[in-house]
Amino acid sequence: MPLVLFLLGVAGAASGLRGLQRIGDLRTADELLYLPNGRYLRIVSLGHRALMADLVYLWAIQYYSNYDRADRFRYVEHVFGNVIPELDPHYVDAYTLGALILTVEAKDVDAGLRVLDKGMRDNPDDYLLPYLAGWEAYHAGLYERSARYFAEAASKPGAPAVILRNRAGAVARAGDLREAYALWRELYLDPGSDAVTRGVAERRMRDLAVRIDLETLERAVERFRTRNGRPPRALSELVRAGEIREVPIDPDGRPYAYDPSSGKVGSTAGRILGNP
Amino acid sequence: MTATAEAAPRRPRVTAAVGAIALNTFREAVRDRILYLLLAFALLMIVSSRVLSMLTVGDEGKIIKDLGLSSISIFGVLTSVFVGVSLVFKEIDKRTVYTLLANPVRRWQFVVGKFAGLALVLLMNVVLMSAALVALLLARGDTVLRLVPAIVLIYVELLLVTAFAFLFSSFANPILSAIGTVATYVVGHLSWSFELLKDRVPEGAPRVLCDVLHAALPNLDRLDVKARVVHDLAVPGPFLGWAALYGVSYALAVLVVACVVFERRDFN
Amino acid sequence: MPIEPPVVRLDGLVKTFRGHLGLGKHVAVDGLTLEVRRGEIFGLLGPNGAGKTTTLKTMMGLLRPDRGEVRLLGLSPTDPAARARVGFLPENPYFYDYLTGEEFLDFYGRLHGIPAAERRRRIAEILARVGLEGRSRGSLRKFSKGMVQRIGLAQALLHRPELVVLDEPMSGLDPIGRREVRDLILAQREAGRTVFFSSHILQDAEMLCDRVAILVRGRVRYEGTLDALGDRQPRWFEVAIVGPVPAEWSGEVCSSQGGQTLVRVPDVETLTRLLAATPAAGGQVVSVWPRRETLEDLFLRHVGAAAEGGA
Repeated sequence: MPLVLFLLGVAGAASGLRGLQRIGDLRTADELLYLPNGRYLRIVSLGHRALMADLVYLWAIQYYSNYDRADRFRYVEHVFGNVIPELDPHYVDAYTLGALILTVEAKDVDAGLRVLDKGMRDNPDDYLLPYLAGWEAYHAGLYERSARYFAEAASKPGAPAVILRNRAGAVARAGDLREAYALWRELYLDPGSDAVTRGVAERRMRDLAVRIDLETLERAVERFRTRNGRPPRALSELVRAGEIREVPIDPDGRPYAYDPSSGKVGSTAGRILGNP
Repeated sequence: MTATAEAAPRRPRVTAAVGAIALNTFREAVRDRILYLLLAFALLMIVSSRVLSMLTVGDEGKIIKDLGLSSISIFGVLTSVFVGVSLVFKEIDKRTVYTLLANPVRRWQFVVGKFAGLALVLLMNVVLMSAALVALLLARGDTVLRLVPAIVLIYVELLLVTAFAFLFSSFANPILSAIGTVATYVVGHLSWSFELLKDRVPEGAPRVLCDVLHAALPNLDRLDVKARVVHDLAVPGPFLGWAALYGVSYALAVLVVACVVFERRDFN
Repeated sequence: MPIEPPVVRLDGLVKTFRGHLGLGKHVAVDGLTLEVRRGEIFGLLGPNGAGKTTTLKTMMGLLRPDRGEVRLLGLSPTDPAARARVGFLPENPYFYDYLTGEEFLDFYGRLHGIPAAERRRRIAEILARVGLEGRSRGSLRKFSKGMVQRIGLAQALLHRPELVVLDEPMSGLDPIGRREVRDLILAQREAGRTVFFSSHILQDAEMLCDRVAILVRGRVRYEGTLDALGDRQPRWFEVAIVGPVPAEWSGEVCSSQGGQTLVRVPDVETLTRLLAATPAAGGQVVSVWPRRETLEDLFLRHVGAAAEGGA
């Protein structure tokens, strides 16, 4: 008799579960609306804030790994930029993951950078956050902002030397070739730089030197053309006209190519960074 | 042989009775299955943090540390509350206190001895749980030295909670005592809210009341550096010192009140 | 030589309990005054609820009297120096059941500050004294009620107190156990100790006490020596007869059991006649008991009187 009742119970529970599975999930897509504010979670956590942050973080990871939801990015910034930081402002992993979800998946670079900015305010000694922000801005084409983030990252304790290279690259992309050149030169001359860094710096300086020269020459040619109604017959004519002090020579010691008919300046030097 | 011949009653040292009671209390706890149940649960939690940490993106060590430290704290508080409120009550309920206090034991020695015994049990618990956590972290190659201040302050917090459990149980039954102690723990972690409240109440008496409550109620958040140490942030030596002084002194004051209340009590 | 203070002095002791939620009032002890001198065995007797346990707890400082004063060996019971010279066994004692007998006694020895070597020696000695030698290694959880009572006595005697206070020391024991406890109490007097115990069982007191006090509703109804308990001349005789009882006394039969008949006779003269008549009737006298007024009779008289007076 007890066995019959037991089996009856098991069977009933199993069929109930099957029924529930057929009906499916009653939860609405808006369930995140009910995720409480970090401040309230902090009250509830009673001195276990960091653990609560972990739990929210772990939950968020599982939640955002579910690709079925259409509006799943609605609360990312709230979760990673508000709830978790309220609980554990030093949780760098959470800022970085939140920023990655926002920029890579939600394509919302501004929001991603906002999350990282918040993380930087709470963790002024951490280089990872501005470093990541630098790359996110870089990939989004915000080179000046990217250069600023890299500069900030490089100034933090323990920041790897590679950040300075990234910074110089971003500065170059932003269009400030002389500043970029100066940064590479600094790296090149720094006795602390390793062989790889120095090698990279040398190549970049070479490229930048060529690009700076070409830019100078192009501008001078343009000014000459405006003033005289024709391009100069040779680059040396620019010196005589007072547009440039002297005719530059490329890093290989060769003069730059010039086509007097079109007024185009060129270089025979090797591959030039970022110049298609 | 006559009574007068052997009557040379020793005056036992004040600490002798406290020590004997503490040792007996420790013995009681380590022979009680409840303790092992709690300890087993805590160790299970610590070990399972390893599993939970696999779900994360990023630093798994952080999750292990958070869950480990919180387990030490939570199970310590559970021990403090549930063993703490029952220790004194059990002695009265089972009438063992009659024979005990019929001996040359002052009542405060009884309370202090019981407290010291439980403090010893808690120390053992914290050390065991910490050892499990440390072993887990070392196996992963994590650093553990930074965790020490947090564990020390967890222990101080446990002493404070235990003192409150003793205070409540010196006059109330175990259920009321447990509720009172848990309420104190909750308030102790929310006492910062009085600062928020202060800005919203009118000037004068209400604000003074907020200040008084903020200063007088135990501020357990001051003893919580878990969220710092898991990020490998150092806890300054002076902070550790002052926080420990705060917690231990507060516990001492509460225990004194518990002794005074107990001193006036009748045992029916 | 200064006059020695009485070992126990209770002076106008009053203890009142409040009812639930502080409502109502129950006077447990109402103006109790007593003195016990060194070397006495003193019995505090009374029905359940008479205030015996309250008196003993107040004596030990476990309860604070509302009024009046307790002096043990001239000291207040709140003074540990007084309690160091007193041993106490509460009613239906219950001890730490997670300890073994030896650990238990060791704990109490520590409380008295007895050094370790001395403790070991005394524990062995006292265990032998209460008949628990070799049985004290198991935890108290497995002890029978009698064994608990014995280990309790051991605890009360371990530090060789001058005064031993026992609350219902023989309740719940089997006849052998009662006998052993009785012997132990008598041995304490031999050792020069004073024993103060409470009981609602009168035979115990009758066999042990030098003096008794009968407590009814918190008041002493009788205090004095047992010798002074009324007329100690036999008041009647009981005769046990096997076989037929002479016809003259068939109306005096008190009880009949297993072929033995108990006959009550009022005086010596009648007894002589019965003894002569029985063999003639074919019976056989097995025994003759002279009966005096017992403590029980006295007790019932006082309790009864108080009940009527109080009603």
